[in-house]
Amino acid sequence: MRSVKSLATAAEAGRHQREWFADLRRRVAAGEPFALLNADVPHEIFRTMDIPYAVSQWWASLVAAKQRSGHYLELVRQRGYPDYSEQYNSVTLGSAFDPEPEAGPWGGLPRPDIVVGDASGDVTRKVFDIWGHEPGVTFYPLESAAENEVPANWWELMPHRWEQAVGPARLDLLTAELENLVRFLETTTGRRFSESRFREVMALVNEQEEWNRKTRALIARTRPAPLSVVDSIPSVMLPQWHRGTEWARDIAKRFYEEVRDRVDAGQAACPGERARLMWIGRGLWYDMGFYQRFQDEYGAVFVWSMYLAIAADGYVRYGDDPMRALAARFAAFTDQLYTPPWSSEWYVKEARLHGIDGVVHLVSDDPRGSYFTARALEAAGFPVIEIHADNVDARTFDDEVVKRVGQWLENVVLA
Amino acid sequence: MSTALAALEEAYARRGAPPASSKGPTVNRTPVVGYVGADMPVELLTAAGIRALRLTGDPDSGSQLGDRYLGRGVDPMARSVLTRLLAGSFGDLDRIVVSHDCEASLRLFYALRELRRVEPGTGLPEVYLVDILHLPHRTTARYNRRRIGEFAARLEAWTGRPLDLAGAVAAHNERRRLLAAAAELRRAVPARLTGRQFLAVANAALSVDEHIALLERLLAEAGRLEEHAGRRVFLSGSDHDTAHVYEAVESEGYVIVGEDHSFGGPSPEGPVGAGGLDALAEHYHYSGPTAHRATVSERAAHAARAVRHCRAELFFAYSRTGDEAPAWDFPAQRAALDIPALLLERQDYGRADLTALRKEHPCAV
Ligand code: SF4
Ligand code: SF4
Repeated sequence: MRSVKSLATAAEAGRHQREWFADLRRRVAAGEPFALLNADVPHEIFRTMDIPYAVSQWWASLVAAKQRSGHYLELVRQRGYPDYSEQYNSVTLGSAFDPEPEAGPWGGLPRPDIVVGDASGDVTRKVFDIWGHEPGVTFYPLESAAENEVPANWWELMPHRWEQAVGPARLDLLTAELENLVRFLETTTGRRFSESRFREVMALVNEQEEWNRKTRALIARTRPAPLSVVDSIPSVMLPQWHRGTEWARDIAKRFYEEVRDRVDAGQAACPGERARLMWIGRGLWYDMGFYQRFQDEYGAVFVWSMYLAIAADGYVRYGDDPMRALAARFAAFTDQLYTPPWSSEWYVKEARLHGIDGVVHLVSDDPRGSYFTARALEAAGFPVIEIHADNVDARTFDDEVVKRVGQWLENVVLA
Repeated sequence: MSTALAALEEAYARRGAPPASSKGPTVNRTPVVGYVGADMPVELLTAAGIRALRLTGDPDSGSQLGDRYLGRGVDPMARSVLTRLLAGSFGDLDRIVVSHDCEASLRLFYALRELRRVEPGTGLPEVYLVDILHLPHRTTARYNRRRIGEFAARLEAWTGRPLDLAGAVAAHNERRRLLAAAAELRRAVPARLTGRQFLAVANAALSVDEHIALLERLLAEAGRLEEHAGRRVFLSGSDHDTAHVYEAVESEGYVIVGEDHSFGGPSPEGPVGAGGLDALAEHYHYSGPTAHRATVSERAAHAARAVRHCRAELFFAYSRTGDEAPAWDFPAQRAALDIPALLLERQDYGRADLTALRKEHPCAV
């Protein structure tokens, strides 16, 4: 089944994305520098300096949606690298090895001049590092630091008391790395960094994510749910890659208004809603129809994915020192989603907020683990089913999954 | 046969088992700390008067609980360590300290921290993370110095007395020097120590002083060591916390004359300078050639150097399922070498699929 996109903001975001990418290709062809960034590095610096950039995971999700990840993983394999490891990043690396890059989706990803990623995991850094060996590409790595003791309630602390949530050691480190990144970019691209422009960008990001907060709250309290994750994901994620622009702020607002109008009009993703589901894990980019498969038969609607929720809770940072506030956005970004107690407590808080009846947990064979998340949710009374697959590598997905989820809905969630 | 070698092998066989002193009442005994990971500043543990033992797994004893808590994506070595910790295999540990030498160690730390919080019945001791990072930049150096300082302060708070850092650094430097000399015995042609023996020599479960004494004896007895004429292999890639893979490879007529994982020779090789915590932070900033922290080009350059130094005839990269970084290094390593190179990828913990090896080198069997 194909997913049905019904939100005007999702369609508008998709249109904008194509125009933006065409424009990006034009700018790069005209000789402007181009940066490829990992999702959790501070894009705001590049936005401030008006350096064109694309996000590695966005490209991988596009490739997966076009059912082309196998092709790029094959290119990775041909170079002698593993095709079974860290596919989310290596799919994008494959595009660097493509002898016919222009045959890729949307005319192909231009060759970057600068690649920025954090040194998280053992493999992520290597993937970017290998990229940095391609002619004309420089890799700028950022550290991925860890803390001994953290307060569990990060979502309450982050907007203003991020210093307390993240801890000064990590903040000092990333702030210094970002100051150095600015100098590196000034030197290599000739562009200037304007402090007042930076403050503007930071303010726009906070405004955008505040709109997402309102949208999240609205969806959480509305029954039946006005929309499912199929609609919310593009309306949140495409603007997320453009955060710090007026367009992104405005479309986040329009997204909120569109959801509010739906609520006011009593529209629902599934009028016969019987179960509200939570999806934990990355998006199943090669089969977005999956999320609607259980609506007709079971009245089960995926009302929650991390994408809107992390936009609502994970990005907002206020404070007088914008560089330190930016460091606070990213110094522990993935901990919010993947490191207990932060992750486990947050998923429980969100499940309660959304009145969740069941949790489908996508577990990839990466080291992030899932036990503590499932444990916390189950301890709080939410049934959890785990499914095993990689989110961009369709070869790892098994049709049995649909059957298992159906049975679980019947026997556990709706029983 | 060297009697020192026999004693070292015997102490190696005991590693991971509770030290004799860790049974019984905690008063008046030396505190015992189990540690995880290659970049633990062990000098600080010695300086605190703590008995430190590096926690190791066991491929033969199952890892059900570790699999459950860490998930299948984590290096099975860490899953085994967690399983053994929960089974009490290491005796009564007063503390666990974990270094961030790879993703699996970090995940192990998080699991231990969370288990203590949500399942206190597991009875795990307090756990502490020493977050040493490795990008070759001043920003990272400053961060490491801060973390080393915090760890030193924490140790003083635990033991209630000041650290004897100078004494500990001197002892560990002496051990490093002796281990480097023992590594030369293995590099001799023919080798005077097998890879399996060297693992025992380097990882024997001994206090630093006991270890130094035995290493001195081993070097004095060098003339009595057997010669090992097998085909000389350099082993690259995943950590080997047990001798399983060494035994499998060497049983095929090879002798492992060098490796780049953290249970091999001293790494980083040089001594810690005089300069207290500053020098210690600098030392651990450079993590040596391990797959998890060194870059692809550093690894390739190191492989070329090490293979020459060890006079290896065959390069053998090993990448365990759940520990995939070594497989990413291999293409550049092979290109940098002028000897045959072979990758064993997606290997099970403690196992080596030797059919590939036999196919590649039929005459060596
Ligand atoms: S591989 Fe390198 S570090 Fe290891 S023993 Fe040989 S020369 Fe020394
Ligand atoms: S197969 Fe070739 S490379 Fe391998 S051991 Fe025999 S002669 Fe040497």
